Amino acid sequence: MAHAEALTQVRERAQALRERVRRFHADDMPAELARKSAQHEVLDKADYVQWMQLLHEQGWAIAHWPAEHGGQNWSLLERFAFEDELARLGCPWIIPFGVKYVGPVLCAYGTAAQQRRFLPRIARSEDWWAQGYSEPGAGSDLAALNTQAVRSGDRYVVNGQKVWTTYAQWADWMFCLVRTQREAKAQHGISFLLVDMKSPGVSVRPIATMDGYHHVNEVWLQDVEVPLDNLVGEEGRGWDCAKFLLKNERTAGALVGMVWHALQRLWRAAAEVGRSADVALAQRIGELHLRALALDALAYRAVEAMMAGAENGAEASMIKLRATELCQALAEATIDVLGPAGVSLEAAGDAGGLVKDHLYNRAATIFGGASEIQRNIIAKTVLRL
Amino acid sequence: MDTDTARLLGEAAERWAAEHYDLPRRTHRLRCTGGFDAATWSTYAELGWLALRVPELEGGLDADALAVGALMEVVGSRLLLEPILSSAIVATGLLVRQASPAQRERWLPVLTAGRAVLAFADAQPGCVWHAGTLRGQARAVLHGDVASAVVVAALDAATQRPMLCLVEAGATPSLRRRAYRLVDGRGAADIDFDGLSPDVLAVDDDAAAAIDTALAEAAVAQCAEALGCVRALLSATREHLAVRQQFGRPLGANQVLQHRAVEMFMLQEEIAAFTARAQQALALPAAERDVIVAGAKAYVCRAARQVANDAVQLHGGVGITEELSVSHHFRRLMVNATLFGDRDAQFARFLAGVEGGAR
Repeated sequence: MAHAEALTQVRERAQALRERVRRFHADDMPAELARKSAQHEVLDKADYVQWMQLLHEQGWAIAHWPAEHGGQNWSLLERFAFEDELARLGCPWIIPFGVKYVGPVLCAYGTAAQQRRFLPRIARSEDWWAQGYSEPGAGSDLAALNTQAVRSGDRYVVNGQKVWTTYAQWADWMFCLVRTQREAKAQHGISFLLVDMKSPGVSVRPIATMDGYHHVNEVWLQDVEVPLDNLVGEEGRGWDCAKFLLKNERTAGALVGMVWHALQRLWRAAAEVGRSADVALAQRIGELHLRALALDALAYRAVEAMMAGAENGAEASMIKLRATELCQALAEATIDVLGPAGVSLEAAGDAGGLVKDHLYNRAATIFGGASEIQRNIIAKTVLRL
Repeated sequence: MDTDTARLLGEAAERWAAEHYDLPRRTHRLRCTGGFDAATWSTYAELGWLALRVPELEGGLDADALAVGALMEVVGSRLLLEPILSSAIVATGLLVRQASPAQRERWLPVLTAGRAVLAFADAQPGCVWHAGTLRGQARAVLHGDVASAVVVAALDAATQRPMLCLVEAGATPSLRRRAYRLVDGRGAADIDFDGLSPDVLAVDDDAAAAIDTALAEAAVAQCAEALGCVRALLSATREHLAVRQQFGRPLGANQVLQHRAVEMFMLQEEIAAFTARAQQALALPAAERDVIVAGAKAYVCRAARQVANDAVQLHGGVGITEELSVSHHFRRLMVNATLFGDRDAQFARFLAGVEGGAR
């Protein structure tokens, strides 16, 4: 009963937060940022930094952090509803690498000195962070990573290559999984290091993707010296940090909000091209709408189960699977409805942006744990097969 | 919503059913009694299941949608045959909403005591009430074969609006019914109402609203029943994959089968989540309620059917045998999908509510 009352209070707080977000979006979004975002234009670094700092001014960027590090101890539901609402409104992406990924890892595993040094700058988006996880030989099988860090006096010397590193071209820092030891179990002997991107030996090469933009990179590390102070957690126990981070990465309310946003855009597109009375199209969109409602119900039930400590371990995987697959189906339908504008890179209005989003979003079922990996996780953790 | 009451009711129902309603006993019941006997029905009365929809002041439990759902999940997982949904939930719910004090006095005590069974026939617009008499037919009335009385939704010829009435099986001239079995073993009847003078249920003159509410409650209860079926199907399938050996290893060692089982699991979780949301939606104004409820039934129908199909497939040949519960759950879901608004009708209703993008 006490739990039921607590849950009611958290639900009310989440609802109030949604309303504040809607007011903020209506009243306080800088016009140019709102326009670019609504048109699905590609944002540059300055746009994102402005956006992240704006969120911090509202008290939202790190509200999910513990209070002793400047957060407000937001519950999972509040964090989820917050991301969901922003995405429903078509706001820019919350750049997660600092505030959502490495920040909470430092809160949980960092030394006091690391926390003092990095957390305030992460909160204010003064450093741009990149995520150095995947390697050419370690994609879905992340534990097969082979970037070596060898201890030499008061530093590690790091050699290897990272790949698919999002916005590494803008990064000041990269949190990085490296191998500090070879052990029988691949997950052992991995360490979590913070690499200064200005260090000698770090080079970043762009990877061109089919949407025509520069999101992802190769990062080469050649005899890069990293002070021992930049090791997070124990040497050889970096997999714990990685798992902790992955859970935060996959529990993303933005996925649900993006689905609702894309669905509304699709209904509007059908009206814009004069197909409001097209029964076959209404059926197609209606089926997607039904899946969106199922996702919404699933996601919030899962979040509440996680908050109650009643999770089965598959919640984040289920949300990610259903949301990314639905996002792709919605984008496909939107491209179909747009007709000629759906295959032009120079289409008017937001069509060009929708086309590019569609192309890049094919990666959504690949990054952050491919759909097949998510299914493997559920088979193992829940079905015990 | 009272989660504790619902949980306790569900656990008690499962305990009773585990002891009295395993598959061999169920098969035996079906063979000996055709799926209904007065003794079991009065046991259900003792367990309180027949008083769920009755107000506390009239000796009932006034249970919310969550509690009804907890019982219906057990009805689905254990494949109970008796008319809990049609009599204790839908028809009793309509009486509670529409019956006069005299009608309540006549029916609610015998219903909660397990001495009467009601069926519900949504026979509009074909069945017409005119000048005090009812004419027309109702097809495939679930448990119409054993009902002591039938609550009928018919068309009022004068107003051209829906009306509700109650026809007793022993009335004169008596209703003519042709009884038969549905695919899942439960009884049903096609009923002719030829010039009967029914008892009109009209405390609230908006019968249409009462019927819509009852159908919404029925759809949500069916979602919970489907969830019970799906949990049982997945659990049996998981067990089979873990135990059955082929090519020198368990079936479940094959990734392609693991991923199909995972899809079944995700469908189960979506059915659970959508059902919970539909249960909450029963408290909303009718228009909002109907979009969520119709969406839930439309989604659950298709998702549960997929789980049932895959459960049969992954079991192999034994999946279609009488001996395994899998085939019985398959048939229950098949029948339920057509009752109280089929998938196409529910989806059309959902679509009408969301079309254009207003959510």
